Amino acid sequence: MTENKEFKPQIKRETKNKIRVEFERTDLKERLKTKYLSAYFAKRVIWYIFRLLLLIGIAFVVIQPFITMITKSFMAPQDFRDTTVVNIPRNLSAGIYKAIFVDLHYIKVFFTTMGTSLACALLQTASCCLVGYGLAKFKFRGAKAVFFCVVLTLIIPHGSLQAAIFQRFSRFDILGIFKFLSGTTVTGIGWLDNILSKIHVLNMPMGIQTTNSIAPLLILSVTGLAFKNGLYIFMLRQFFRGVPDELEESAYLDGAGTFRTFVQVILPISIPMMVTVFLLAFCWQWTDDFYVPLFFVKDPQASNLMNYLASDLPPASLALDYTQTTGKSPEFMKAMEYGCGMMACLPLIILFLFCQKQLVQGIERSGIVG
Amino acid sequence: MTEQVKLNPQTSAAAGKAPVKKKKIASLDRRKARAGWIFVLPFVIGFVLVYIPIIYEALSYSFFNYSYLENGAVVKEFVGFTHYSTALFAEADFVQTLLTGLGEMAFDIPAILIFSLFIAVILNQKMAGRAVFRAIFFLPVVVSTGMMESILSSSYSAGSEAMELGGAESATEKLASSLALEQLLMSVFESLGFGVGLVEYIVQMVAEIASIVNRSGVQILIFLASLQSISPAIYESCQIDGATSWETFWKITFPMVTPMILVNGVYTIIDSFTTDSNSVMRVIGETYGSSTKGAPHVSAAMGWMYFLVVMLIVGLIAAIMSAFVFYQRRD
Repeated sequence: MTENKEFKPQIKRETKNKIRVEFERTDLKERLKTKYLSAYFAKRVIWYIFRLLLLIGIAFVVIQPFITMITKSFMAPQDFRDTTVVNIPRNLSAGIYKAIFVDLHYIKVFFTTMGTSLACALLQTASCCLVGYGLAKFKFRGAKAVFFCVVLTLIIPHGSLQAAIFQRFSRFDILGIFKFLSGTTVTGIGWLDNILSKIHVLNMPMGIQTTNSIAPLLILSVTGLAFKNGLYIFMLRQFFRGVPDELEESAYLDGAGTFRTFVQVILPISIPMMVTVFLLAFCWQWTDDFYVPLFFVKDPQASNLMNYLASDLPPASLALDYTQTTGKSPEFMKAMEYGCGMMACLPLIILFLFCQKQLVQGIERSGIVG
Repeated sequence: MTEQVKLNPQTSAAAGKAPVKKKKIASLDRRKARAGWIFVLPFVIGFVLVYIPIIYEALSYSFFNYSYLENGAVVKEFVGFTHYSTALFAEADFVQTLLTGLGEMAFDIPAILIFSLFIAVILNQKMAGRAVFRAIFFLPVVVSTGMMESILSSSYSAGSEAMELGGAESATEKLASSLALEQLLMSVFESLGFGVGLVEYIVQMVAEIASIVNRSGVQILIFLASLQSISPAIYESCQIDGATSWETFWKITFPMVTPMILVNGVYTIIDSFTTDSNSVMRVIGETYGSSTKGAPHVSAAMGWMYFLVVMLIVGLIAAIMSAFVFYQRRD
């Protein structure tokens, strides 16, 4: 910035790719002043800080229960009697976790739950994809009625169907076929009943008992009637509607059938959406506390980690050890619950952290906005 | 309703066979219709063979008395609306819970919608650490359902109680100071010209932030999706024309997301009505589990009345909201 430089920009150095030019500029102080001392900039800084504080605050609200769960579940028995201990354990102890692994057979329960949830989630994703695609891309009579039924399954509170669902699956029968073949069909007409009662092909007078196995869950999953499946079908339908028709048309022109087009053209481009649905189905099946206790009357433990861990029986070895020191205090019972809850949702959190990107992407590209 | 659905396959088959004028197009249409039916077949089969019998049984549960004979047969006895009147008049909790539940909903649904739209708008802006915040906000969608919901909420309240206990002040002092703070805030906002009702609403929202956050995960996702679909060119032209971001929000963003406000509103109503932590659902569940004679029947009757109320409200709100929805015309 010497004085002899005037209006003309001067080339200082020139290489093949770069050129360096000296020209008159406002000096640094002036530039900084106009940039940072303006109302616009101040407004942006205030908004930035406000936004950050707000987000951190709300994020804390989300995370805080997890922190409490972790710290409380690591407390030693004597901490529950010590009133000065509130959130941070004074004496660390992994007793609760040891009990979860040893007495509650965590590993075994983990794998059974994993199996159930995986099977259900895969079936649900597959059937919801089919139904969603059918509703999105084909115009046929009754499509609207089918879609209305999908929404209906979402709206009817499953609590009001509780007794009926249980009855249905404890004597599972399709159109009375099994009853018919075992001769227990009752029509109310005397001579007909007589003839029918002579049929003894099968011995299932009351249909098949499907409760206490995962069969009811699988049946519901295959037919897209399981927990929140209406939502998945809706999401997938909206997604498939956003897929341009030209893709399928060109596949048809190349001689592919409808189903082949679906598998080889449509499915590969909808992977993020499918991951989203799969993730939701898996997690919601994992934490399900409606269908699993309903179907597994004998031992709710058998298939679902959550219900097993949260069933309020404290593990035997731990109960003895802790109740001697704490006198079965409610705080201790809570801590047990937290430890169990932590171990139950840990796999979900890990899974979520891995799939988080796809989840967001899937929903963002879902074009729910169709 | 059930009849309609059962008829559908037949009617469509009949339509398929009917002679159509334009032969070539018709056959393609028919093929496509058939393919459509094949795709939705799993659901239709399940709906007809499993779901309709369940609904039928649940309905008859609320109108009949069941008695089980020793050989396993069931004897049904029609009792009309007895179970309904039991649910309405003899069960002390039901009507009360239903009314309070509706009152809570009137507060919750706008709160969740406003909150999730606000957070979605913020999370849609470019900033450092956006991915981390998104991950945290979507965590409840995945984790905080079913059994975890109650554990997490009890853990949350335990944690916040613990934090309040941490200070040396006594409980009354705490209460006094928080009341003073509240009043100060109220007077500040009132002097700024906000209505008292609005301020009270926001104060209550802040007090219940934990449950609102936990229940608005899916809604945030849906709003984010719709925000992403707004073309940036519109914002650019607004900026060039000199619109402030406040104006841009109300003139562009808000109208563009109104369809999603409708979807989210309906979803929120259904979700908060059918979640197990809902107090009415809990009463229904407790009635089902109680040992009184005929309790499952009364519970079923409660369920159906509840369903009717939910349908009514969803229909009403959808009708009101859809009058204000703006649909972008696409050419």
